[in-house]
Amino acid sequence: MSSPLGLKAVNLRELLQALHEVDEAVIHYHLFQSRLAIGQPEVEYPNDFALWAANSLQDAKLAEKLSSFDPFDYENLGEVRQAIIDLLEEYLWDLPYIPWARPGLELHFCEASTVVMRSDICAHTLGEFCDSLSQVGLDSVYYHFFEARLRLEEKGVDDFSYWIETNFDLPDLVEAIRGIDSYFYNLKEIRSALLGLIKPYLGDDCGRTE
Amino acid sequence: MAGLSDYAPIVGAEVIGQLERLAERLGPRSLVHINSTRSGGGVAEILHRAVPLLQQLGLETSWEIIQGDPFFFAITKTMHNGLQGEKVNFTQAMMDHYLEVNRENARSFKWNAEFVLLHDPQPAPLIREMRPQGKYWIWRCHIDASRPNFQVWRFLREIVSEYDASVFSMSQFAQDLPHPQYLIRPSIDPLSQKNRELTEEEIKAVLDRLEIERDKPIILQVSRFDSFKDPLGVISAFRMVRRHTPCKLVLAGGEATDDPEGARIFAEVQEAAQGEPDIQVLLLPADAHHEINALQRAADIIVQKSTREGFGLTVTEAMWKGKPVIGGAVGGIVLQLQDYNTGFLVHTPEGCAFRIRYLLHRPEMARRLGQLARELVRSHFLITRTLRDYLTLMILLDNPGKRLIEL
Repeated sequence: MSSPLGLKAVNLRELLQALHEVDEAVIHYHLFQSRLAIGQPEVEYPNDFALWAANSLQDAKLAEKLSSFDPFDYENLGEVRQAIIDLLEEYLWDLPYIPWARPGLELHFCEASTVVMRSDICAHTLGEFCDSLSQVGLDSVYYHFFEARLRLEEKGVDDFSYWIETNFDLPDLVEAIRGIDSYFYNLKEIRSALLGLIKPYLGDDCGRTE
Repeated sequence: MAGLSDYAPIVGAEVIGQLERLAERLGPRSLVHINSTRSGGGVAEILHRAVPLLQQLGLETSWEIIQGDPFFFAITKTMHNGLQGEKVNFTQAMMDHYLEVNRENARSFKWNAEFVLLHDPQPAPLIREMRPQGKYWIWRCHIDASRPNFQVWRFLREIVSEYDASVFSMSQFAQDLPHPQYLIRPSIDPLSQKNRELTEEEIKAVLDRLEIERDKPIILQVSRFDSFKDPLGVISAFRMVRRHTPCKLVLAGGEATDDPEGARIFAEVQEAAQGEPDIQVLLLPADAHHEINALQRAADIIVQKSTREGFGLTVTEAMWKGKPVIGGAVGGIVLQLQDYNTGFLVHTPEGCAFRIRYLLHRPEMARRLGQLARELVRSHFLITRTLRDYLTLMILLDNPGKRLIEL
């Protein structure tokens, strides 16, 4: 559940200052969790900072840089924070002016609390897994695929590929799932991509169990 | 009245199952909602549906109304306007009367509840008199308080700071407060009169009654006759479109109350529409939900060209009906409409005219926008989402300071 802090940045320098000071949970929210808050069908910009640069600061160059920034390249949120700070400091260094947002278009900082609850849906076979994936909510896809990549200690590993790796001898499928560039898909697209990857391993019918 | 299971075909059985599991984990807790009216306005509309559904989920939920004299409501209207950023004259006498009416109400209230959810400023000071009667006190602000009048906010902030948490509709509305703040988006009820599915015959009957012919594409704006809804801008946009493409405009709004501005704007709209047979201005009763539903379903394009907006539930309603929506780029409309995906955002009558023409010439795109819009509402802005948010909020309050709660 999203929690606004009542704190905002009106220009790029204020954003930089806030990034030094806010809790890591705030950075986590604006890079990852916000897509769960309102999931627009197209992910034009993969994080809130890039979106704000494009729409509010009207700075396409900065938006491009922030869009290409991949938080999964780093080991932890501390490193991610430093990398964004470095990016913004370097960008500001060469600018003759500070980009400002118009009133009403400030960046409002948030964090989120997560309540995790077991659903009644479970899978024992790859076929059941496909069925289940179609039934569960997108929040479940987020938790097991997106958040797991940060939660699990092994870099780039999500709950789904981990489960397949430990239960079935399908290394190609595991590798393909871990290769999904999740940062540029919305949750619905990730679900479709997963189903598309698993389907060939089941024959024609995704609903059929092994 | 619709039961929880009636929503399963709309949102999916998993969503209902999730609500039931959340409620089960929460246990048989008590919750009281307090606001200032049982009818009229979005808050009362959603409470009418949310309260019985929360009861069905096993929560002992009640709904209390604060009583007041006309001066009290004039004061709270002033506070409302002040929170929305208007310059208002907020005197010491007004503050004193506001607090006194709340003290009187506190003396007559008999409830006890673990969770107390107070809506908007009217009942906020009850916490000062009744704190022991509730364990967790939550202030729910439905108002766009992004730039509140300093004098009003300074007064209210002192009261609100005593709460355990506050809830806003958008992060822009949140304030510097000493307790956790949460976001709960407003929502619509897909089974209410205003949003339920209608048959073609039902739609036709309403159009016949309102004397609206479907001989040309219908552009519709549903909103109060209020300058912030920019009905004159819509007429201006319509005239620009008409130079190129035949269509008709329907402006439908709630009955003008004793609000002097409402009557004045309505008169201006009528004057602007005079002599133009393809513009129909409809003044509908406040409870004309069925008529609004039919109009929205009959429309080809729905416009909400607001220049200021809290959340814009009329946009949500139109999106739920699978219509292409063009909205002013303000408030919560920005959250709902994304260009070329779930609708179009515009800043001027010219922009509005351009997008209307664009959609009239591209019916395929209009259909696609409508479908995506409906799915966005299904995931984020239906009453089941609000119920989930209330239940989650209660769980979070039970676990203060925890950011990850595994049930």
